[in-house]
Amino acid sequence: MRDHGTFLLNGERHEIRDMSPTTTLLNYLREDQKLTGTKEGCAEGDCGACTVVVSELVDGAVQHRAVNACIQFLPMLEGKSVTTVERLRGPGGTLHPCQQALVDTHGSQCGFCTPGFAMSLFAAYEDRQGKGLDRDTANDVLAGNLCRCTGYGPIITAAETMGDLPAPQWGEDRAARELRALEALCHTDTVKVASTDQQFFAPATLGEFAELFAEFPDATIVAGATDVGLWVTKRHMHLKTIIYTGRVQGFAHIAVSDNTLTIGAGATYSDAIQTLAEHFPDLGELVRRIGSTQVRNAGTIGGNIANGSPIGDCPPALIALNATLVLRTGDAQRRIPLEDFFVDYGVQDRKPGEFVEAIEVPLLENPDQFRCYKLTKRFDQDISAVCGCFHVTVDDGQVSSARIAYGGMAATPKRASAVEAALVGKAWTMETCEAALSKFSEDFSPMTDMRASSDYRMRSAQNLLIKYFVEGTEPLSTTRLVGRGSTIAGGANHA
Amino acid sequence: MTHSSDFNAEKASNLKVIGTRPARPDGVDKVTGRARFGADMNLPGQLVGRILRSPHPHAIIKSIDTSAAEALDGVKAVVTRDDFAENPDNHAVLCNVMAREKALYEGHTVAAVAASTATIARKALKLINVDYEPLPHVTDVDAAMQPDAPVLHDTIFTSGVDPVPTIPSNIVARCEFGHGDVEAGFAKADIIVERELKTAATHQGYIEPHACVASVSTDGMSELWCCTQGHFDDRKICAALLGIDVSRLRVTASEIGGGFGGKTTVFIEPVALALSRKAGRPVKIVMSREEVFKASGPTASTSMRVKIGVTNDGRMTACDGEFRLQGGAFEGSPFDSAAMTAFACYDLENVKSVAFDVVVNRPKGAAYRAPGAPMSVYGVESVVDEVALKIGMDPIEFRLKNAVRDGSQSSYGPKFGPNGLVETLEAAKAHPQYKTPLGPNQGRGIASGFWFNYGGETCSNLNINADGTVTLAVGTPDIGGSRASMCMMAAEELGIPYDSVRATVVDTGALGFNEGSYGSRVTYASGLAIINAAQQAITEMCKRASMMWDIPADAVTWEDGYAKPSGANAGEFEPMSLAEIAAIAANTGGPIAGHREHNADSAGISFGTHIVDTEVDPETGRVDVLRYTVIQDAGKAIHPDYVEGQFQGGAVQGIGWALNEEYIYGDDGKLQNAGFLDYRVPVASDLPMIDTVIVEVPNPGHPYGVRGVGETGIVPPLAAVANSVSAAAGVRLSELPMSPPRVLKAMDDAKQAAE
Repeated sequence: MRDHGTFLLNGERHEIRDMSPTTTLLNYLREDQKLTGTKEGCAEGDCGACTVVVSELVDGAVQHRAVNACIQFLPMLEGKSVTTVERLRGPGGTLHPCQQALVDTHGSQCGFCTPGFAMSLFAAYEDRQGKGLDRDTANDVLAGNLCRCTGYGPIITAAETMGDLPAPQWGEDRAARELRALEALCHTDTVKVASTDQQFFAPATLGEFAELFAEFPDATIVAGATDVGLWVTKRHMHLKTIIYTGRVQGFAHIAVSDNTLTIGAGATYSDAIQTLAEHFPDLGELVRRIGSTQVRNAGTIGGNIANGSPIGDCPPALIALNATLVLRTGDAQRRIPLEDFFVDYGVQDRKPGEFVEAIEVPLLENPDQFRCYKLTKRFDQDISAVCGCFHVTVDDGQVSSARIAYGGMAATPKRASAVEAALVGKAWTMETCEAALSKFSEDFSPMTDMRASSDYRMRSAQNLLIKYFVEGTEPLSTTRLVGRGSTIAGGANHA
Repeated sequence: MTHSSDFNAEKASNLKVIGTRPARPDGVDKVTGRARFGADMNLPGQLVGRILRSPHPHAIIKSIDTSAAEALDGVKAVVTRDDFAENPDNHAVLCNVMAREKALYEGHTVAAVAASTATIARKALKLINVDYEPLPHVTDVDAAMQPDAPVLHDTIFTSGVDPVPTIPSNIVARCEFGHGDVEAGFAKADIIVERELKTAATHQGYIEPHACVASVSTDGMSELWCCTQGHFDDRKICAALLGIDVSRLRVTASEIGGGFGGKTTVFIEPVALALSRKAGRPVKIVMSREEVFKASGPTASTSMRVKIGVTNDGRMTACDGEFRLQGGAFEGSPFDSAAMTAFACYDLENVKSVAFDVVVNRPKGAAYRAPGAPMSVYGVESVVDEVALKIGMDPIEFRLKNAVRDGSQSSYGPKFGPNGLVETLEAAKAHPQYKTPLGPNQGRGIASGFWFNYGGETCSNLNINADGTVTLAVGTPDIGGSRASMCMMAAEELGIPYDSVRATVVDTGALGFNEGSYGSRVTYASGLAIINAAQQAITEMCKRASMMWDIPADAVTWEDGYAKPSGANAGEFEPMSLAEIAAIAANTGGPIAGHREHNADSAGISFGTHIVDTEVDPETGRVDVLRYTVIQDAGKAIHPDYVEGQFQGGAVQGIGWALNEEYIYGDDGKLQNAGFLDYRVPVASDLPMIDTVIVEVPNPGHPYGVRGVGETGIVPPLAAVANSVSAAAGVRLSELPMSPPRVLKAMDDAKQAAE
């Protein structure tokens, strides 16, 4: 076991030891390193002013991703390379094309959000071999960056035109150096970073992870820290023991076999989105709307489930898809239907020392029968008021099976069992759907909060069933303002 | 005013630099992260300041015990109300900066600590024991006006009513504007529409939280670094609250990460100074996003009644409005400007506009881009839309028929001079968007709006450097690209390239008093000072050339960057460039500079008209903005890209206000959405590319015709979006924001009413 962490910051090796392991990357940059180009606008992953690019080795190649530095704990960067806005400067002080484009289009007014925008554009530029972005992709890449001055127009233009500018001269040489430096950081030891009363473990194998969790069953498991990060930055919780899953080999595994898609609990949304969109187009689009690019680059599908939130977007979709949850304690595995995992508000069927290992999703014969609807005040980067997911199969005009699940309608993600029962065996018609509307009150009595009233939740949940029916019988594009059909699913990685 | 400030048509039609679009001088620093904002400053020995805030919306502070906090290792100072002397001239600001007898809103500052680390500071806050006696609270403006409402201040007796009440209430003041006889006017109307409408409180939403570093020496010499729209204003108020001489406090404005009016006052700055004075070390305070929402200065929420009468041929016969604005826990909501701007677009015989300033248990409001106008204009333009619809008249034709023109009597008093309202309406009518066909569930909205624009106390210096470059010292923080526009105006006057001029926003020690960057005044007022300063420098350079040539000073003229002999007695000399004159300045009398101090008026009113197309999802109530065009009179655009940037920024803030943004309070009087997670400002995908049309009707009070442009852009969008959504939904929406639940409910209710 190593007693310190190691990562690269702007090409230089940094060691992390004898410090609070919940120190955020942002505080380290701004307070310790005085790299003040990275800004703090919210410290909760909403505004993107702190966006940096984290690069890591994936299957032998370097992958660049934009993340929010404000909710990354420093030891999570083990073996990775962090690039801040200060390093975009090319040889001879030239600007990177994303920066030059922002200057040329007057993409800065006040300029406070600009370094964050530059880093989001930089990550996209690197991922796309120096191409500019089309409008839809720019919307996606920039959904996690707030600007209050410009109305985004000039920034979108910069995103579209940055590919037309000369590529930076340092490109290849620097990439090769970064690859070598990252290779040099590879190791399979468990890393421990501790202060007087906090400890952070970053195991590299599933076995060690299981052992550590058995030893410290009260530990907080952290994957992307898109939620746990806020426990620290907003609620000032003092986390004593943390086990980080991001280095566990095989934990982010995504595979299809025997008509089943298996998603390792450590797979980030960005890791999974292409495969999800391929097999379940609407789930791909739903995941594209979770958080922002920065959040999807860090957050995991396993974390979204294990967290147990009643408004997580993956659980209702995966419940409607009849997913199985694979839980693990030590060497022992246990499989349960996902819907049984959610017992009550804040209570899941998870024993001490047990963790979510994977999710198994049966593939569909007709993926278009599966639809997801995420209702929010804002289309991108917003928490669902209601999330409704539907999978109804019809044989000879009769409903043969129905799996309908909602988020935001109860204390847990929950199936609409009474509604399903009112559909099964009936003719698949508008009349049947309308007759089933009255059953919603047997399944749900949603709460009123700042995101939506009880009435709105109930009314829109009912309307979503109607929408699902209409969309199954009419062309998609005429019934959707936005979403699949007008925007390509595929998120951060679609080129 | 000097003659040079009046519109010069010949000059305005021969501009070389003005109207071009050079890169901003601060652009590279902003994309590289080098620009230093409020929180980017650190001083040696600096402590971390943290603020203890009231958890109660309304409570008597019976006692504060700081002894345990003071005893904690690493704590260097603790301040409370006892560290600030009573200050009758600045009572409201003082009480807002540090609560006195009562905490008046959730988040109200009660105490503050300075410690060696953030962790110790947070621990220390927990050790401060405050004994509160909670009181009943009120956060809604209408509820606060009721006779049985909990009263915040027993010193408020409504002003502007006769007789003055004998019992205190939450109604600070009533104001009234207008002329004619509205009842007689309504009697002449064929159709009258009257509506009650509401808008929610919103926040300016600047991405940079308030931040400052204060350092007070043992002899009282003090420095303050902060993100602000007005560092001279900050100096004035901080010096007053701390009881120090203005001359002993030097304030430096950092780069500012957005303000929009919200950084025109102080919150943490006097607290940081008080902590530094007590600790004897520099203190830095940075607000969290939650503190920004709970304890900076959001805008007013409003309720209003608007009544408009028209004849069948589209002439407005009478307009009557009542506007009720809460400005948080202290007096000072923009109720008066709400009343003044409400009907300002219309040439009316009979108009009456009444407004009330109301206090509630919310943070003290600050300015937000055209304060008061977006709300009252939302009410008026919604009803205008409805009456035009009722008489079957095109909404632009209706507005053209009633629009103010040069010489019209304004609804709030003065006569208007030349202005561009009609031009913006004509441009809207001719714009391709106005003719684009609409699909099902889509609607188009039009609205016009007005803002005064301000001038104010201003002071700028211009220095000719020995190498032929020029440095400008400006006292108004750059919130919208003003350094670029100052350089452009100096280059224009001096006849030298834009790249030879650099502008710096200098600290309070370097210039006389400047009002802050607000009121859309900077390009106009600071710019005019720069133009005048350049003219002064030109006079001096001509004099220096005349000395070299040994001819009378008035025999030298300035042309395209050169001093030239001119006239019968001038003689034959090679023209001297600015650089040549500058190079020998030491031998001709020393440095060459120009400066100008003035209290600028004639800022130039400005009107705008917006067109917006939206689509509504009938099943979920979601609104999608399809197309948006801003048309506004800029008088003369100095840097057209920045003018368009102001138009677009204002429109997008207005779109957010119209559709999603709101302060949501629980029954407990606490703010429920104090973060960007649930206070939803628009992101890129919420918006189409905002199209812009710059109309230029010259301001007669400026040599190039410049009018302020920063604020008018946020005035029409609330109404324009509401009119568009109402058309798309088939039902009039009368409460903002038009969030999906509210739109769906309105459509449902309309359906039920029809059945």
